[in-house]
Amino acid sequence: MSDTQWETYEVFHQAKRGDSHEHVGAVHAPDPQIALQMARDQFARRMACTSIWVVRSRDIAMTDYQDDVFFVHTTDKSYRDPKAFDAPDKLHE
Amino acid sequence: MTKANAPVIEMLTALADDELVIGHRDSEWTGYAPILEEDIAFSNIAQDEIGHSLVWYTLLERLLQRSPDAMAFERQWLDFRCCRFVAYPRGDFAYTVVRQYLFDEAEHVRLEALAQSSYGPIRDAAARIMKEEAYHLLHSEALVERLGDATDESRRRMHAATATAFPQSLGLFERLEHEDVLVRERVFPGNAKLQTAWIERIVATFGAVSITLPLDGSSKPLCLADYGGRAGDHTSDLEQLIADLHMVYQSVSGASW
Repeated sequence: MSDTQWETYEVFHQAKRGDSHEHVGAVHAPDPQIALQMARDQFARRMACTSIWVVRSRDIAMTDYQDDVFFVHTTDKSYRDPKAFDAPDKLHE
Repeated sequence: MTKANAPVIEMLTALADDELVIGHRDSEWTGYAPILEEDIAFSNIAQDEIGHSLVWYTLLERLLQRSPDAMAFERQWLDFRCCRFVAYPRGDFAYTVVRQYLFDEAEHVRLEALAQSSYGPIRDAAARIMKEEAYHLLHSEALVERLGDATDESRRRMHAATATAFPQSLGLFERLEHEDVLVRERVFPGNAKLQTAWIERIVATFGAVSITLPLDGSSKPLCLADYGGRAGDHTSDLEQLIADLHMVYQSVSGASW
């Protein structure tokens, strides 16, 4: 049987203007406008919200967890770390 | 209660009871809506409608010295003044969507008019409720636009639902007993005017998905309107609904939650 589910849209939520949009989950929807409405009801009904983005899940390019070369570090890279100077505390948070 | 307040009490009771009863019917989809997202969206709308009934019942409390809980949970079903339309069983999801859409459009024209009311507390309450209703309308209209023209089954169901719901929904604009006083005192412009504005709006939405309403050349309904609710002449659907609504409240009288 073919999948009769609607497509999924990833939801990005902004709590106040100037903040980054953060990924909060996904919704099923037949099109972007309904996806925005569904996202509003699932994720912005109680939380403070100033803006929502939705992106069709299949439009997101992603890495493969099985791909063992993409992120692998096999040699010492510690010389790249910014250890020779003090960064302000704020950067460490 | 003074006699002078009777017209306002009549109108507020109709407004509040419409909201409470449609909110209850909407809540019956919780756990059963066709998809999870819509289940939550519809439950949210149900809670909003019941919240709106609380706004109107709170205004009534000042006039009747009767608490919102008493109005919702201690009145007999025949004392409710909702239209019959909002009390009918929820039907399939197409009927629910069409009913909610017709109700939201009626709310829109009603609240717009009440936001200009000569009666201050009604004016303020209408302006507050209108903001939430705008989202309901956005949602139910989007569902009508899509389900009205998606698949053969959705088209068939939406046509059938509209044919059933439209004559019922005219009950939203049933004339009130004290309507003349309310219009003269500019509390609201009268149900006939509201209905005309409402028909203009719904014709546009249904027309876009090729659903035609039974109207004559001057946009007057050709079908028989399902009146009775405003005078307390209800169907047994409301009796069953109120029994459900009251069950928990009346199981332990005086309990606090």
